[in-house]
Amino acid sequence: MSDVLKEEDIDSEKDSERRQIYEIGYLLVPTLTEENTIGILGDMKNTLENMGAEIISSEMPKMITLAYVMTKSIKNIRHRFDSAYFGWVKFELETAKIADVKKYLTLNQDFIRFLITKTVRENTLVSRRYAGSGVGRRSKEEKKEVVEVNEEEIDKEIDALADAAV
Amino acid sequence: MKQDYFSANNIKHIDYKNIDILKRFLNPNGKIVGHKRTGVVSKNQRKLARAVKNARFLGLLPFVAR
Repeated sequence: MSDVLKEEDIDSEKDSERRQIYEIGYLLVPTLTEENTIGILGDMKNTLENMGAEIISSEMPKMITLAYVMTKSIKNIRHRFDSAYFGWVKFELETAKIADVKKYLTLNQDFIRFLITKTVRENTLVSRRYAGSGVGRRSKEEKKEVVEVNEEEIDKEIDALADAAV
Repeated sequence: MKQDYFSANNIKHIDYKNIDILKRFLNPNGKIVGHKRTGVVSKNQRKLARAVKNARFLGLLPFVAR
């Protein structure tokens, strides 16, 4: 298996054609401890690397409240979850091997759900401060600033007039 | 004149994890607001819809709110 990968690595042009950047977003069952989630992330990364993936970035699973209740059958018992550990991993992998990744995630009972998406190498997350500056809001803020400046100017003018009168 | 939020802020890839941004394009019921109201260009509206649907699947956004 590893010999085959090495041969493909040498032929970089063909390799680049077949490789794609993927991201896995996943939800882990909330019954796990944080230490366990770190272990699961480590296992997943190892499995991906064994398949020939290059890990680009990842985020540690953190507890979130789900927007709606999800169900998952584990050993013929239906479990309902309203919270879960959410995390993601971004990596580059050969397109032919993504089916194996899907199989690995499907068989793992610790995942409530997962989503494999094609993405880009660059960081796609936008900071909150940047996200808050909307086009519509900005115009309103500018209008308020103009009003404040006018008030100050008026105050100064009044003071100047009062001084002149004295 | 309405401007495309994503073009104005130079956001080329609309990520399903940016729920603060995605929430701006949802109405109080959690439905995606049309491009005529928001000024988003068609290309970005398609990307936005995909991102919102992915976020819903992973429980980051609701299918129905209220």
